[in-house]
Order: sequence, then C-alpha cells, then structure tokens
Amino acid sequence: MEAQDAIKVENVSKVYRLAGNSQSLKQKVLECLRRRTQPRMLKAIDDVSFTVKRGETLGIIGANGAGKSTLLSLLTKTIFPSEGVIETHGQVSSLLELGAGFHPDLSGRENVFLYGAIMGIPRQRMMQRFDAIVEFAGLKDFIDQPVKHYSSGMYVRLGFAVAVEVDPDILLIDEVLAVGDAAFHKKCIDKMREFRRQGKTMLIISHDLQTIQRISDRILFLDRGRMMGLGAPKTMIGEYEGLTRRRNTEIYQREWGTGEVMITCVVFHGGDGVERDTFGWGGDLFATVHYQAKHVIDAPVFGFSVSDNEGRVVHGSNTQVAGLVIPWIDGEGAVVLRLRELPMAAGLFLFSFSVHSADHRVNYHRLDNCFPVTITCSKNFEGYAYMPSEWSVLE
Amino acid sequence: MWRWRELLWILVCRNLKIRYKGSSLGFFWSLLSPVLLILIYAIFATILRFNEGRPHYLQFLVIGIAVWQFLAMCLNDSLYAVMGNVNLVKKTAFPRIILPLAMVCANVINFLLTWCVLLLYLLLVGMPMQYLYLLPVVLLVQATLCFGMALILSSSNVFLRDTEHMLGIGTLAWFFLSPIFYPVEMQLQFLPSKAAWLAFLNPMTGIAWCYRRLLMSSAMPDLQGVPVACLTTSLTVCLVVLVIGLFTFQHTQTKFGDVL
Repeated sequence: MEAQDAIKVENVSKVYRLAGNSQSLKQKVLECLRRRTQPRMLKAIDDVSFTVKRGETLGIIGANGAGKSTLLSLLTKTIFPSEGVIETHGQVSSLLELGAGFHPDLSGRENVFLYGAIMGIPRQRMMQRFDAIVEFAGLKDFIDQPVKHYSSGMYVRLGFAVAVEVDPDILLIDEVLAVGDAAFHKKCIDKMREFRRQGKTMLIISHDLQTIQRISDRILFLDRGRMMGLGAPKTMIGEYEGLTRRRNTEIYQREWGTGEVMITCVVFHGGDGVERDTFGWGGDLFATVHYQAKHVIDAPVFGFSVSDNEGRVVHGSNTQVAGLVIPWIDGEGAVVLRLRELPMAAGLFLFSFSVHSADHRVNYHRLDNCFPVTITCSKNFEGYAYMPSEWSVLE
Repeated sequence: MWRWRELLWILVCRNLKIRYKGSSLGFFWSLLSPVLLILIYAIFATILRFNEGRPHYLQFLVIGIAVWQFLAMCLNDSLYAVMGNVNLVKKTAFPRIILPLAMVCANVINFLLTWCVLLLYLLLVGMPMQYLYLLPVVLLVQATLCFGMALILSSSNVFLRDTEHMLGIGTLAWFFLSPIFYPVEMQLQFLPSKAAWLAFLNPMTGIAWCYRRLLMSSAMPDLQGVPVACLTTSLTVCLVVLVIGLFTFQHTQTKFGDVL
C-alpha cells in the first residue's frame, strides 16, 4: 500500500450461501445424509479491485443489488471478504444506515457517546464535540429523549452528525442523502464539501446521480457484484444510465423462429464503418446483419423495425418492400441496412431484425427489440420523430 | 483492548439500564430480589420442615441459590449478547468480544448487589465469615466460568438457534447435578474417596463449596476428604471452558455479519 492511498481493495469477492437451506440442525443432518449438491451461492461482490487516494471522494453507483452496500460493509469491516484483501489507512467512520448502531431505548445523548465509544474515541473528546453534534443535528430540545421516539428525519440527522463530528480520516456514507428534508440535504452536502477541503477520504453511495456527480472525484460503477467501470463521474453516470435503459427494455425482447437461418450478429456503425450504438439526429445509420443459413433458402426477406423504449413501433420495413431481390442464400453472409437522415427524437430506440420467407409464412429467425440504440438530438419538437414543418400566416 | 474500556463501560451501563427499563423501582430490584429470595426460601423451608436436623440449611440454601442464579442469568443473557445487538454487529466495527464481556460484567455488578444483601443477612444470623476476604477470588473464578460459557453460547446461538432450546434443558440438568440445594457429600457418597474429584469436574461443585466454606466454615461441619486436587479440578475446568470459549468466539465472529 502506497503512502497516499487511503483504501486499497484487491481482488475482493464476497460469496453468500443463499438462505432456504440448512437453518436448523435437523436440516443440516438431513443434508449431510442426502449428500446434497452444492448449495446455491450468490456472489455479492465479484473480483473488485480499486484504490482510493487520500483526500479523494469516490462515488459508488449501481442498480439495487449491485453490491454497493456490501462493499461498504466490507470496508467498515462488519463483514469480511471471501477472497481478496482490503486495506484501510486511518480511522473509518461509516453511515451504513440512518443512525446505525443506535439503541432505541437510550436517549440521543447516550447514543452519541455509545457511537463515540464504538469508534474508540475518548469520552473527553466526545464531550468537546457534543455541542457541535447537537447543533448540527438540530436536536437541542430532544437530545435527552429516547431515540425510539425520534422521527426518521431526526434519527438520520443525529446519525450523520455523529459520524461526521467524530472527525474520521475516512467517511463511508450509504444513501444518506435520500432521507432528510431539503435543508438537511444542503447541510450534508456542505459538510461533505468541508470534508473534502480538509483532505479527508470519502466513499458515497447514492442514487441521486446529480449530487453524486457534483461531489465525487471519481465514480465506481458496480453491476451485479462486478466492476463495470471506475473513472470520471460524467462518463460513469452516462454508462450507468445507458445500462439502466437497456435493462428496462429487456422485457420487450423476444427471439423466435425456425432457425433455418440465424441472425448471428448485428453491427451498428456510421458511414465511417466505426462500430457504435449512439447516433445523432439527421445522421446516417448502418446496420450490418450477419446471418448463417443451414441449407439453401430461396428468396429470403430481411426485415427490420424500430420501436421506442416502451415497445411501440416507430417504423418498419423489409428488403421486399425496398425492392431488393435476394435470389437465395446458403451458409454465412451479411446484408447491410442504411437509414438516411435519422428523424427520431432523442432517446433510446429498440431495433428488431428478422429473416423470413417471401410469402411471410415461415419466420426463420426474429430478434424483436433486441438492439438498443441511443439517439441524440438537439432539435426541439414533440414526439418520436421529426417532420419538417413550416408555418405561415394566411393573408 | 484497553482502548475499548469506554465502550465496555457504556455497554455495561446500557445492559443494566435496559434490564430495569420501565419498572418504577428500577435499580432497587437488584437489592429487593435477594431479600424476597431469602424470605420465600425461609417460608418454604419452614413449612416443609427441610431445615429440621440440618443446621443452617436456610443459609446454605440461600447462598447456593444466589450463586446459581448468577450463573443461570449469565447463561440466559448470553443467548442475546450478540443476537440482541444485531444493529451494532451489522453496522459498526468493534471487537465483538466486548458484547459478552459487557453482559457478564453487568451480571457481576448485579451479583455484587445481591451479595450486599446476602452478607448483611448472614451477618445478622451470626455466620462466622472468617474468610470473607477470599470471596472476590471465588467470584472471579465463577465469573471466568460465566464468561467462558457466554462466549460459547452467544456465538453458537448466532448460527444455531436451537441453542436457546437446548440451554433451557441443559441448565436444569446442570442445576440438579450441582450441589445447590443438597450438600456435596450427597454426591461424594456415591463415589469412592479416591474418585471424589470426579464430582468436581462440574465446576459449580467446587465454586458452591468454596462460597459456603468461606462464609459458613465453623458453623458447617468440615467437608472431609476434599483435597486441594478437587478444587484444582474445578478451577481447571473453568479455565478450559474459557479457552474453548475464546477459541470458538474468535473463529466464528467474522461470520456474525453474514448470518445476522
């Protein structure tokens, strides 16, 4: 570990045995007797490696179940990796949950000192900081009430105040920004900024992409336990949003057909031949459709359609309509589709491709809504597609 | 470990506070329950004429019961030493061993309060209590046993919830195997004198014997044929339990966060 590194995570994996089996002794014994097959395992974190430099703020984004919270728990050391090594340098304070570790029957005051003690901070120092904590949490009149009577906002305010005021070297925050009102939200952001200025290291999980983009130096993008990327906030958030959109369209995907001809691959590219999945309004889109025919197929028809991200068809056509005659195919080959001057509005569009017989009776292979393409557009209009329009005043 | 003394202290206070939370007498229950304990056994022993022909049977019984209760409460509380702090274990990092330790410490404090009442009572009925100054030593040995058991039970209950059910039966069996309401001689008469140490494999035999010996020695007939070896046996078992406990806890604590 180099001197300027605050956190080093090396090839860390965390595997959970899925529940439902072997809870009681009886089941354990029965399992042994039956010599059951391996229980189902879930890789919550799968071979993740990264380092965080001292003074750096790292945002962590990803869908639910991406492993964000598991990662923070590993860094807090409440759970331990199945494989790999985690090193942290300096005192770690973590907010894994609003008011984590608070005891409901104790008063706010007692919980503050409990938290301080858990962090290993001398009582003397906690006394000095106590007023600042109460002040920050805005709980002056309630600090001697049991925390079980607190509202969830008060709870998290106190939790945040303590975690911050214990003056850690590394602060881990899990989705705290989502709770609390706007005023507290701002207070938190200000405090985090102050932390940054003081050269502290922070790891933040949030679904509030705008905030996390503003506050992070770099962003770690996780998906299903795997590291999808680590880099500039804007790039990572773009990738995350892209993935989310693609995921959301998965329900519209369908693959069917006799399989006599298979569409093996579709490559989208611009006029320059460079592969891409984002196209600008008004530009040209090329799609090379690779196929493989098992035997000689006479007069096949290749078709395509474009749908919006809710599965509504915007446009569809085929080689027959376009007047392209393909006498027969056999083995591997490819056809190229060109869409001129894309008229679509900005957003995600789903391409479908198909190959079927000339009389439409036999569908050899259809891939419905399987190819998401992002369209960017700076034009201002409503709807899916741009229609050149002119207005004039009748004289 | 020294670093964590404040956390230990806070948790001890919390355990004591939570125990009497909501009750109007609060902490006084720690003093009141031994008084009631003595009263109930006095009435019970008189009505059933248990103390006939047995000098100082009531004192004998009360000491035994108080000593047993300390162990029983530790055993019971240890089930929840870790399980009752899911929030802390899942969300914060600190040496987990503090949880059972704090639980035992809280019970020790409670036990000391019981002793205040008990000693007052023994003084009133004129027990000699010549070796009172050795009481802390016996208490320490018993606390060691309690801590060892707490380590085993608190960690095993996390993984095997059956611990809770097994413990109830186990504690009852242990109670009858220990010379609490009967003198140890009753056990020894089943054993050849050379094998007397076998009875002391149950550490509570040695511990209960020591407490009574220290507080009632001249009033109670001396136990014949209990050599030092017997007490050493009990002490060794206590230490072995502690070592097993430390070992078990150390090896399972990293998985607490996964299971809870």
